[in-house]
Amino acid sequence: MTDVTLTINGEERSASVPPETSLLRLLRDEFFLTGSKLGCDVGDCGACTVIVDGLPVNACLMLAGQVDGRDVVTIEGLATLEDLHPIQKAFEEFASLQCGFCGPGVIISAKGLLDRNPDPTKEEIKDALSGNLCRCTGYTKMIEAVQDAARILRGEKEAA
Amino acid sequence: MKKRGKGMGCMWYPIGFTVMANPSAATVKVNEDGTATLITGTVETGQGSLTVLGQIAAEELGISTDDVHVVSADTDATPMDTGAIASRTTYVTGNAIQLAAEKAKNILFDVAAPMLGVRPDQLEAKDRRIQVKGFPQSCLPIGEVAAHAQNGAGTPALGSASYNPPTVAMDPETGQGKPFSTYVYATQIAEVEVDEETGEVEVLRIAAAHDCGTAINPMLVEGQIQGGISMGVGMAIQEEMLFDDEGRQINPNLTNYIMPTSLDMPDLEVDIVENFDPTGPFGAKGVGEPTAVATSAAICNAIYDAVGARIYNLPATAEKVLAAIKSKDHSDRQKYLPAG
Amino acid sequence: MTDDVKVADKTDSLTDLKETDEDLRLPSVVEPAHFPVETIDTEARHQTPAVGQRATRPDGRLHGLGQTKYIDDITFPNMLFAKMKRAGISSALIKSVDTSEAEAMPGVAAVLTGREIPVNSYGPSYQDQPVLADERVFHAGDPVAAVAAVTEQIAEEACERIKVEYEPLEPVYDPVEAMKDEIRVHPPHSNIYATKRIKKGDLEKGFAEADRIFEGVYSTQMIEHVPLEPHASIAQWDPNGRVTLWSSLGRITLGRADIARTLDMPINKIRIVGTIVGGNFGGKNEITTEPALALLSRKTGRPVKMVYTREEEFIASTTRHPFIMEYKTGVTNDGMITARKVRLVLDGGAYCSWSETTLGKACILSAGPYNIENLLAEAYCMYTNKTMTGAMRGFGAPQVCFAYESQMDEIAHKLGIDPLELRMKNAFHEGSASPTGQVLQSVVVKDSLEKAAERFGWKEDGQ
Ligand code: FES
Ligand code: FES
Repeated sequence: MTDVTLTINGEERSASVPPETSLLRLLRDEFFLTGSKLGCDVGDCGACTVIVDGLPVNACLMLAGQVDGRDVVTIEGLATLEDLHPIQKAFEEFASLQCGFCGPGVIISAKGLLDRNPDPTKEEIKDALSGNLCRCTGYTKMIEAVQDAARILRGEKEAA
Repeated sequence: MKKRGKGMGCMWYPIGFTVMANPSAATVKVNEDGTATLITGTVETGQGSLTVLGQIAAEELGISTDDVHVVSADTDATPMDTGAIASRTTYVTGNAIQLAAEKAKNILFDVAAPMLGVRPDQLEAKDRRIQVKGFPQSCLPIGEVAAHAQNGAGTPALGSASYNPPTVAMDPETGQGKPFSTYVYATQIAEVEVDEETGEVEVLRIAAAHDCGTAINPMLVEGQIQGGISMGVGMAIQEEMLFDDEGRQINPNLTNYIMPTSLDMPDLEVDIVENFDPTGPFGAKGVGEPTAVATSAAICNAIYDAVGARIYNLPATAEKVLAAIKSKDHSDRQKYLPAG
Repeated sequence: MTDDVKVADKTDSLTDLKETDEDLRLPSVVEPAHFPVETIDTEARHQTPAVGQRATRPDGRLHGLGQTKYIDDITFPNMLFAKMKRAGISSALIKSVDTSEAEAMPGVAAVLTGREIPVNSYGPSYQDQPVLADERVFHAGDPVAAVAAVTEQIAEEACERIKVEYEPLEPVYDPVEAMKDEIRVHPPHSNIYATKRIKKGDLEKGFAEADRIFEGVYSTQMIEHVPLEPHASIAQWDPNGRVTLWSSLGRITLGRADIARTLDMPINKIRIVGTIVGGNFGGKNEITTEPALALLSRKTGRPVKMVYTREEEFIASTTRHPFIMEYKTGVTNDGMITARKVRLVLDGGAYCSWSETTLGKACILSAGPYNIENLLAEAYCMYTNKTMTGAMRGFGAPQVCFAYESQMDEIAHKLGIDPLELRMKNAFHEGSASPTGQVLQSVVVKDSLEKAAERFGWKEDGQ
């Protein structure tokens, strides 16, 4: 068994799991944070994207042991009791998600981008989302929503 | 050299099944405060159908989308539905819902008529009110009528109904018949850039004009069109399941089975063609599947326009396009027969 | 039974427990909620009239918050996990299935083979597909046994220890080859399992009226739906002999009837709860693992979950039919279509699934949205020893559209007519008769052509 202690969405959490456990399984099976999805388990689809120490990664490709002592943000860590995160709000307003299965991963990738680059071009947004497969939407409304959320986060637009 | 070209694809598509009947049933209950619950056996598979179906119920009752809560997809509790298939939900399930909501509404009219001193057929449901047609100032809040229906008159406002598209069986020899109730139509036009040296195709933009009858929720219709086009792009230039000599798949994973990512998507310009189908709920037909139909033809025709290479076999991978360019004027594979 | 545990030991273990508790360093503050509890809605949801509003989706909010519960996000106490053993051979007789080693593994709760299934066949039009192959394998993705175990890994290892003895049979993969019926996929039945024919007007007369005749052969590939959420189900058998299935199935009413048939049970003993489906596109329109999971749950008295791996999604779910399409079209020099002859050959894979509907729709639509007086369309669907083909967004329409629109383009170029104009000349109008003789209403082909052309700027840059 591997002992891990990490910060998830600002809370320190510990678990003891078999050494082959991925970060994704750790989140889903040990901590019941099922927002991160399993779409392929081999790093192809991005449904499992979470932020580790500020950077988006595929949680299915990381071992639980590798995140010991690190900081993880999952989709569950974005909203507050008062409000949705601006990206989540924009995704809702633009109907950017259809079946929604890719959504948590896409939104986390978008957050990873906007945290580093508050004013991305359309090409930069496409680039940031290129590791997140979506079969339903054609990505168009996602890109529009990320642009809108960026405007709100930069303070150029009032949140609805 | 990279060359640009444009091409179009035009299509028609039926709403619903063939071969067998495809009914749907629904129940609409109006609560005492004028909000409503819709009960349907369909399943939300991503397209937003529950929202659209709620809008249909709301429209019939003269209330808002948010006033309708939708309960779905439990065989113990929800009525029969043929399911989320064949672009039939808005049209078939939607028609059943409109009929069910109308029954509930008629109960409200029966209750409201004596309260307003008119006949039930003089009433309409609008803006959360039951009002007299042509004299809207004579009205009652729908909640008041619904409460009175339940607690005063003792006739709670609810309705159940079913719908099956009227069809005529096809003659087995000639296929003549009316296999579907109605059809939708669409055109997509693509602009591509083809690299003559590598055969690589980039789809730059697609203009799509789709008919869906009345767009119950234009935002969700746009989403369907954009998503359908992405599948069409995959079919046109990327996706293919491959088998080895022993019938086993070679690429059963998303590493080697290539489908569109955000980087592969062209700029999309989507139009909804205004239309009204008298047989659909509030004129609506459907939109799910037709969006993926015309894309590959439009893209391949644009490839021809760009480099004169005709693709007869999908997907138009770089190797195939390059081979078609090399065997110059591939279109000579076209055979011309003398007339007659 | 002797109880030789000493009281002192018990105290020890309690101390242990306490220590573990401290080790876990349980958070002293309650974890924050993952979502806002206030309702913050867009205007459009509250406006009347409701139709035409760009109303947002309540489920859309849950998707964005990661709060939507797909099957894999649902857990029950004591739940088991199932896996299926896949054949890996495309055509064979099953001589024997030895599950003893798998059954003996610690952590394995039950193993199921095809012979234990009351009615081991299903399918939306023909019941030609086994829940678990028992006598014969029809394609490499066929399941031959299922295992329920306490973890997915154990279930998977147990599958590896199931020994199946096969007698290989000669396979057929090419639909044109299959058409000859020399090697039969489902003997004694012909490989040609569905046909469709539409005949209108006088084909010979139509071709005689043409100035030019165009011929072409087009083909398309096999495509997977790739829903981001793989197929998933949970079965729970209850003490009253009812079974509840949480399933990613898109059509629960008909799915319930299929399950009742395979389990030989009254319909009212089966409940299907359709959860939010993570993408369907036609691929989740038939039952798959549900009957096997129900029986595993009955065997074990525990809930059983199974989620397809991405690979299973490819090899064991339905796909889009590959088509071979022969088109012959007669046109006048000014671009009017006088006759069209279409022949479609569909690779129908190992099982019928929704092939009949696909064949029918493809055949009806194959002439395109054009007025064609003289028409013959014939379509055939063939069994092959490949992954089954079924319903996929468009039921054959994208395939035939690729063919008829490619040929329209060829005709336009060869006749020197603008592709837009050629289509405008031949397009359906209100009241046109379809290939099946149906009078069409609310027809807006020309409007869609004009609108798309205008938006694109078709006429602006010239040819
Ligand atoms: S599940 Fe991690 S990338 Fe697909
Ligand atoms: S919304 Fe379904 S996969 Fe993206």
